[in-house]
Amino acid sequence: MSIEKLGDGRRATGVGRNAGTPFPAQARGPWPVGRACRLAVGAAVAGICLTSFAQEIPKYAPPPPMPAASVKLPHVVLMSMGGTIASRGDTRLNITNYGGPGAPRVNPEDWYKDEPELAGIAKITLEDERAPQDRKSGTETQEDLARVSKRLNELAADPTVDGVVVTHGTNTMAEVAWYMNLTVKTDKPIVFVGSQRPWTGLSGDGPRNLYDAVRVAASKEARGKGVLHCMNQFINTARDVDKTSAYRVNTFQGVDVGAIGFADPDKVVFYREPVRKHTDGSEFAGKAFDTLPAVEVAFAYREAPGYLIDAMVANGVKGIIIEGTGAGSAIGGEGRQTDAIKRAQEKGVVVVMTARTQGGRVQDTPRRRESNIVPGDNLLPEKARILLQLALTKTSDLGEITRIFNEY
Amino acid sequence: MNFMRLSLTRLTWILVVTGFLADHAFADTNLPTVAMFTTGGTIQSKGAHRQKLMEYSDGKVTPQELLDDLPELKQLANVSVTEISNIGSGGMNAKLQLKLAKGINAALARPEVAGAVVTHGTGTLEETAYFLNLVVKSDKPVVVVGAMRPFTAVSRDGPFNLYNAFRVASSPKAKGLGVLIMLNDEINAARDTTKTNTYRVETFVARDLGPLGYADSDQIVFYRRPVYRHTFKSEFDISKLDDLPRVDVTYAYQESDGAAIDAFVAAGAKGIVLTDGNPDAVKRGQAKGVVFVQSDRKGAGRVVESERQMSRGIATSDNLNPQKARMLLRMALTRTTDPKEIQRMFNEY
Repeated sequence: MSIEKLGDGRRATGVGRNAGTPFPAQARGPWPVGRACRLAVGAAVAGICLTSFAQEIPKYAPPPPMPAASVKLPHVVLMSMGGTIASRGDTRLNITNYGGPGAPRVNPEDWYKDEPELAGIAKITLEDERAPQDRKSGTETQEDLARVSKRLNELAADPTVDGVVVTHGTNTMAEVAWYMNLTVKTDKPIVFVGSQRPWTGLSGDGPRNLYDAVRVAASKEARGKGVLHCMNQFINTARDVDKTSAYRVNTFQGVDVGAIGFADPDKVVFYREPVRKHTDGSEFAGKAFDTLPAVEVAFAYREAPGYLIDAMVANGVKGIIIEGTGAGSAIGGEGRQTDAIKRAQEKGVVVVMTARTQGGRVQDTPRRRESNIVPGDNLLPEKARILLQLALTKTSDLGEITRIFNEY
Repeated sequence: MNFMRLSLTRLTWILVVTGFLADHAFADTNLPTVAMFTTGGTIQSKGAHRQKLMEYSDGKVTPQELLDDLPELKQLANVSVTEISNIGSGGMNAKLQLKLAKGINAALARPEVAGAVVTHGTGTLEETAYFLNLVVKSDKPVVVVGAMRPFTAVSRDGPFNLYNAFRVASSPKAKGLGVLIMLNDEINAARDTTKTNTYRVETFVARDLGPLGYADSDQIVFYRRPVYRHTFKSEFDISKLDDLPRVDVTYAYQESDGAAIDAFVAAGAKGIVLTDGNPDAVKRGQAKGVVFVQSDRKGAGRVVESERQMSRGIATSDNLNPQKARMLLRMALTRTTDPKEIQRMFNEY
């Protein structure tokens, strides 16, 4: 049924006829055809749709020459955690309403088939770690993260593997990459990649991003730099990268501290190494965390009430991240956040301060120390949450947690 | 009486000298020593009144005035001062830069010196900083600092920039990171940072790459280490140099022709950095032994290494902007004129 819907003749063939209409499927085409006929057309066009609209790689330009058989290529594992890069739209112009439950997906083999150039830069092994199809980006559970982290640790220990590329939906990929940056014990490149436009999208960014990510994972220079992120030709660190735009292809930026290198046409080049601890140097690496202590995020805004924080405590959180105003402030006053924070702390809940400015550090100030609030450095709230969850598996000592936030 | 008078004179002198030492030179052994080199710039300029943020050439600030203005430094470091010049950065040249670099190398060779601070006008600050990044022979921090507002202005940025420069220069965390640029609380790498705004205090930006860290109130904090070669890992040696080869820069625009290239060659340029190059003029220059490097006017991104360019004997500048490519080409020409060797240097520095 879903295939029939996707292959509906009016949608697929509508692209050319309704040029300039973003969603030709909604256009009322004069097609007085019966259901049987529609089904037949639909089935035929579905085939066309899944092949000719599979990806945006020109067929008229020859691919780069393959290396000689004697050249030993690096071994890169291409692991799918899904995402837009693994999604199909019903038309090439559909770059917003694609995927979803029941929609056909792009399997790892499809990438490999659509982009034969990949075989020219690495010996590729495909792995599928996608969540079940009725879940999409943003709904990974800790179970998923633990499973993938465990698998990445296995690949890290496998001497035949030189690097790993992991695809992921862009909405939460920075968090997932950060989790792997803290829990995978390796100096091998692990490169997260995704796309802003589906695999079927016109001018889709997926194929080039995937090709570049494999180049980075295959490069010796990428070793020892922690989990990386590569889209739009920029190489960013998992710690600092963030999605900053809903739809633009340059969405991923290293907040404040920029990219560390480029996947340029001539070579993969690095200008920076991260200073903070990661992967090999992480005290959380190589361990299984099937469950983590509950930590939630409270947003600060004018008149933000304390009862949301009280509710978090009532639900048993062990830690709370405040996404504070300005340099990191919760909202004070009768019934507001600051009193609720004190009540939470009395019950042993650890409170970490981040800033909603999405840039700059929350500093270790005397006043903050008096209030027993841990400064979250320049981590985004969703990343501070993961670090606090991991920290709480070892300690609830505020000094020790402050050290962890200073070092990672 | 005679004896008494002598003693009194002596005592007076002792008091005066002790007072001077306590105030200026008496080393607190618990504090690191930082060598300060001053070259001038807005940070050392006076305007006609407090709201004057332009055309402020009504007076120069001496190194002593800078220090007296910032008594907080006494809790931070012992300062030894060398005045190289007191000029706007437009007047900076190879002779002064070599004098500065030699002074820094001599100072940092002294074990008690923790690091160096250099004041500089912001207009060409990035060039001097990158030059030092290529020729300083030490892993101790060298911090180049300036100001966007003169010494006399309200809301001037100079004092905190200078204070932070001393904090960074005396911080062990800043060792081995190459020459650093310190303005607006941001610690930037000399290689990657350029002035991006004529008047704003956040003018120094490393496009694409961002700062290495921050001088925040609670701590000096770093997130990044540079990968390219610099300072103590550099192959360049200035100890026997008293000038540098002439290298010029051509600007690309619609209908630009080879006239500038021909003129620079006629003026005796040994190297020319191109943002675009008229092929015939380049060939004429190459016939006279001039070395060409291809940079770009866009201000971000790399000029990729290209076999096509190399077949024309032209090296490419990676992501160095033209004015920085000029500094590296000057240093490269002290060692070689081979385009392939020069390309290697542009790939490594």
